[in-house]
Amino acid sequence: MNEMIFEAKDLSRSFAVGSSPLQDFTDHFLRNRQPAVLRAVDNVSMTLNEGETLGVVGESGCGKSTLARMIAGILPASSGERRFRGEDYDSFLRRKRDALKVQMVFQDPMSSLNPRLRVGEIVGEAAVLHGLVPRSRVKDYVVDILARVGLPADSVGRYPHQFSGGQRQRVGIARALAVKPDMLICDEAVAALDVSVQAQIINLLLDIRRDSGLAMIFISHDLGVIRHLCDRVAVMYLGRVVELAKTSELFASPTHPYTRMLLDGMPKISAQRRRFMPIQGEIPSPLNPPSGCHFHPRCPMVTDHCHRVRPELREIEPGHVHACLNVEPHSKRL
Amino acid sequence: MSIASFQDFARRFAESRSAVISLTVSLVFVFCAIFAPLLAPTDPYDLTHLQLSDALKPTGSKRMLPGEEVRVNIRVNNGAITVLPASPTKTRLSLAASSCGPNCLTVSVEPTAARLGSLQVRNLPNGATIEGAKKHPIQPWWTIDNPESSEVRITSATSLPASFTLLAIAKSLDQETDFVFRLGTDNFGRDMLSAILYGIRISVVVGLVAAGAAMVLGTALGLFAAWQRGVTDAIIMRAVDFMLGLPALLIGLAILAILGNGVSKVVLAIVIVQWSYYARTARSFAMSELGKEYVEAARCLRLSPVRIMLRHVLPNCMPQIIVLFTLNIAAAISMESSLSFLGVGLPLTRPSLGMLIASGYEFIFSQKYWISIYPGVVLLVMIVAMNLLGDRLRDLNNPRLDR
Ligand SMILES: Nc1ncnc2c1ncn2[C@@H]1O[C@H](COP(=O)(O)OP(=O)(O)OP(=O)(O)O)[C@@H](O)[C@H]1O
Ligand code: SF4
Ligand SMILES: [Mg+2]
Repeated sequence: MNEMIFEAKDLSRSFAVGSSPLQDFTDHFLRNRQPAVLRAVDNVSMTLNEGETLGVVGESGCGKSTLARMIAGILPASSGERRFRGEDYDSFLRRKRDALKVQMVFQDPMSSLNPRLRVGEIVGEAAVLHGLVPRSRVKDYVVDILARVGLPADSVGRYPHQFSGGQRQRVGIARALAVKPDMLICDEAVAALDVSVQAQIINLLLDIRRDSGLAMIFISHDLGVIRHLCDRVAVMYLGRVVELAKTSELFASPTHPYTRMLLDGMPKISAQRRRFMPIQGEIPSPLNPPSGCHFHPRCPMVTDHCHRVRPELREIEPGHVHACLNVEPHSKRL
Repeated sequence: MSIASFQDFARRFAESRSAVISLTVSLVFVFCAIFAPLLAPTDPYDLTHLQLSDALKPTGSKRMLPGEEVRVNIRVNNGAITVLPASPTKTRLSLAASSCGPNCLTVSVEPTAARLGSLQVRNLPNGATIEGAKKHPIQPWWTIDNPESSEVRITSATSLPASFTLLAIAKSLDQETDFVFRLGTDNFGRDMLSAILYGIRISVVVGLVAAGAAMVLGTALGLFAAWQRGVTDAIIMRAVDFMLGLPALLIGLAILAILGNGVSKVVLAIVIVQWSYYARTARSFAMSELGKEYVEAARCLRLSPVRIMLRHVLPNCMPQIIVLFTLNIAAAISMESSLSFLGVGLPLTRPSLGMLIASGYEFIFSQKYWISIYPGVVLLVMIVAMNLLGDRLRDLNNPRLDR
């Protein structure tokens, strides 16, 4: 169970913003100017074990989706290393049929399904093309999978617009399951849904995980959902992981100032102590992030040091890492 | 598209009366194009049946059969009469001779209904005369102008020689036939109605083939650019900008000046002009589709780029491309007509609408308006109909006008 299924080491991704190839060319050679670069994901390292669920939380724009796409192999990394069961990711992705082992569920139930295809083709297409099922048996195969995600058999012949948001998300899950993945990345898979529907979809994901032992990466900005679903949690801030720990430990004793603020902002039903501290300040622009520790403009514990030095991830307890210069091991409460 | 959404689409389309009319008109033109050989009263490509006597006839006039001249030698030898044709060509008129008693000979014209301009018999023996005929002052030639009957009688008071030879010449007048030129004729005597029907056929074929080929080529390049991005995209799009910057007609003229005329070359010229519209449209819509999550899902399912573009992205760009196609058919038709009007399009033997307009242009001030006006009206109606159709399709595709 503790075998590693996926590993990322110093994974980074930057985007050149607001430029075209021609402009890059002229900027580079004629004006001697570097194009503006946005580091959406900045030196992220993480591991995922077989059957485990890793949560990723962070504010909007902190690079969660970019990370998810790199992990899913649909976005090349700018630098860093990815491994699937120990194998280098590029050679893994080249074997198309094996690469199906990593699948993704998307956020937007409207745009994540091709409006021109029937559900039967959306779900069955890849399985047929990659030879997982013969074309003659694909209909039964799709009906089986639709049943697993709680959709009636007659959905096969219908178009996405004939379904509700929750049902569409089930179609999206069925599409991923149809190619028998070992690892599933859910990028805000429930964020766009009503609360009651969210619960249904989360229960469906829990059922699937229980039945098939999938490893999952669950991305969300909803801490409640993360706490409910995940074994471990990574907290991201402006493209970097600032804290990563077991769910229970992270929620019980967060160490990074940013994590603490996030948890304090989280509505608690059994809130005895009212330690209310709104996260001050705007989210800085990822195009022009603060120097040193990205969090320093908003951090209550900021020191001079923080402006200059980039904090590296340090283990403060076994399995619990964070990136803060000022919070030392065993001084978790302050 | 499902049946329900197609019905919905049809219903919304039908809300515009002009759209329905233009669709009907367009279908009529397509019908004319397909069945032109059956609908046209004559074959305008058949040059052997053209006669200059029919040239520049106004609307509603009848085709004339031109007058003929027949010559035969009539030999009488001891009462036996033989008729030998003296003119080499085959004619509708024919002459016969028979005896009508002693010292009497009848020369008759077949068919009897033919209206004759003159009937002349030469080399009559001495003493013989023809009733009602005028004799040439010097020669022994007897002529009846505008004869009432189709036969002449040669009689002699004295007895005729045992053997002699006559030369009979019949000239018929131009004759009206039942065939009506409903839209008049052009300067070659071509029936305008037939020429217009065949012209519609050329226009529709050129429009469909050229716009279709441009659509395939341009869409493929646009999708390729959208998928590749980067340098490939930049190169293709600069080429598009370049093409869009030049006047279409000028490019067409230049290409045809180099290649010479002909249907396939006109089509090629139009494709070279029009592919850029499709490339631009296909690229921009493909770009926006490529940003959607279903494309990322398809990539995650490790589908091939070709499959993603053709099976997933293209169908979602198709509505806009179809709109462009409809509008570009009209543009292709007008470009073909313009090129033909300018004399570099199609060869003279295969008149298209543009060339008919051009050939009538020199006669328009001598009140022979029909050669230019009728093809012009047809062309106008055809292009307006296609444009209205395209506009309606575009409106239906515009989400901002969606209720
Ligand atoms: N293709 C791209 N080109 C340029 N910038 C991009 C691109 N994709 C993402 N970004 C930028 O990278 C940053 C991280 O984006 P990302 O979508 O990963 O954030 P996120 O954490 O998923 O946010 P959200 O919670 O809103 O989904 C953002 O500032 C975004 O503008
Ligand atoms: S490094 Fe400094 S600024 Fe960053 S979180 Fe720690 S204390 Fe705050
Ligand atoms: Mg996101």
